[in-house]
Amino acid sequence: MKWLTLAFLVSFAGLFVYVSADLPDRGDPHAPANEHLAAEFIELTAEEIEIPNIVSAILADFRGYDTLGETIVIFTAGLAVLLVLQTGYKRND
Amino acid sequence: MTDRHDSVILHFVVRVFMVPFIVMFGAYVFIHGELSPGGGFQAGAIVASAFVLARLTLGTEHASPRFPTRYLIWLASFGVGIYVIAGMVPMFYGANYLDYNSLPTAWFNDIAEHHRTARAMGIFIVEVGVFIGVFSVLVIMYDYLTLRFREGEDD
Repeated sequence: MKWLTLAFLVSFAGLFVYVSADLPDRGDPHAPANEHLAAEFIELTAEEIEIPNIVSAILADFRGYDTLGETIVIFTAGLAVLLVLQTGYKRND
Repeated sequence: MTDRHDSVILHFVVRVFMVPFIVMFGAYVFIHGELSPGGGFQAGAIVASAFVLARLTLGTEHASPRFPTRYLIWLASFGVGIYVIAGMVPMFYGANYLDYNSLPTAWFNDIAEHHRTARAMGIFIVEVGVFIGVFSVLVIMYDYLTLRFREGEDD
């Protein structure tokens, strides 16, 4: 069984190495991931928002809903810690 | 609840050098969030680390009077509220939720005599909310993870 798992993992590793040869180069402007929205974000940040940091523009403006959700996730995590640990005050035994 | 450390040197270095420097660095990271890498999340974590350092060395009782836990809970809600309300204000001007183009920020440009687009202002307001929320949530987590029983501590 152990050898079967090993053979399975090795074959998958070989498959990934084989496929990775076809990936686009790092930072290639004509890669499929860079062709659609990235160019639009770069242009709109310069034209409409006029701040130098494109990452901030994407994070807080273009992806505003996403950041709102992240903030609420962090807030909820804090509330969960508070509600779980606050019960340490009272002991009923 | 962390105990106060005995060393006077530690108190001096932390109070005079480290905490002010870390808070200043957090403010720098926050204000430069539009110009260079940085922003609300990172600055909140940095400033929270300064407060956790103060609580670790000076003790929670000595370090917390300025930001006690019960205020921090309000502050965390306030930070998330800034974000939510900044998203809702454009809806009163006929735009979509979180559409900063409709934020009424023209008066600020007149006062500051410096042109900033409404969307840049919206990003800044939202980052303020994220900063306050992340900072206070991290300090709340530290305070409650180090909480002790008030009564019956010895059993």
